Amino acid sequence: MKQIARRDKLKIYGDLLSILNEETSKDKVVLTRVQVRLNVPFDRLKTYITQLSGLGLIDDENSLKLTEKGKQYIKEYENVLDFMKRMGIAYQ
Amino acid sequence: MYEVPRLAIEIASAILYFILVRYMIKPYGLTREERYLGLPLGFGFLGVAETILAIGIILPIHGIGTVSVVMRTFAFVFLAFTYYFSKKPSKNSRFAWIIILSSIIVGLTTWILSLVSAPLMTIGITTSFGIFLRILALVCLSYICIHTLRSHIKSLDPTTIWIPLGFILLAISQYSQLIRAADENYLYGVAFVGGLAARLIGLAVFLYVAYRTFYRATKRGGINEADRP
Repeated sequence: MKQIARRDKLKIYGDLLSILNEETSKDKVVLTRVQVRLNVPFDRLKTYITQLSGLGLIDDENSLKLTEKGKQYIKEYENVLDFMKRMGIAYQ
Repeated sequence: MYEVPRLAIEIASAILYFILVRYMIKPYGLTREERYLGLPLGFGFLGVAETILAIGIILPIHGIGTVSVVMRTFAFVFLAFTYYFSKKPSKNSRFAWIIILSSIIVGLTTWILSLVSAPLMTIGITTSFGIFLRILALVCLSYICIHTLRSHIKSLDPTTIWIPLGFILLAISQYSQLIRAADENYLYGVAFVGGLAARLIGLAVFLYVAYRTFYRATKRGGINEADRP
């Protein structure tokens, strides 16, 4: 059986922001689809969304979307992960 | 005859190492995991080692070259341990990494202090121990080369080939340094300057990778944002 590596909070936050970034380009963000893609229970997804909203990275007033700060963060996050991959050090 | 190009290459290398520290600190800045601290520390110590060596070329101070060699070797040890621990899950290896990191820092500080406060020690160090230090640096570099090549083979992404190439060039340069230390009749020649040039090209490769990752990506992002209605 394939073993799935445990993700820390930073990785989960990063993954959630990346998924939201991709989903917002579509018509509407469907939370169930986000939950399936992120592979976490729904109650925990709600907790993460509240935490990220508190940090000012996402806006969940009308519909779920990334704020400017969230977009900047995800850009930097993806750049650093790409740099680490190029350097040959995997972030697990 | 080769002092001027050597000095120029040492100064350029030191500048490049310090510029690279700015990028190497980013993985630690994002994750706050100690196992990534070896990257900025390693490149920072390499920059300091080259600066000391450049000072040694301008002002012939006894034993300054040895301090540089010790510092450079410790820097490669830092980098090798960073690569070793990057494969391990962070929670399990955190304690071991902290112990190793502290031991390397204590060891380096002790060496530098003993070299500065007791210059007599440098006489013994410059011969066989100098060779040992260079071999150790070469072993560390070989480990890093193998590690980065293996991770490139795993992902088979054309963008990941540059870093192993950069480390291979650093290893060639280190090999040239080893031959110079081992052979007393070795004269400054094209091979030696070629080794230094290999290091400079290796550093340019690292800088190119950092530029491609951070600046090209930002530019690309900027264009996409501007294109959006």
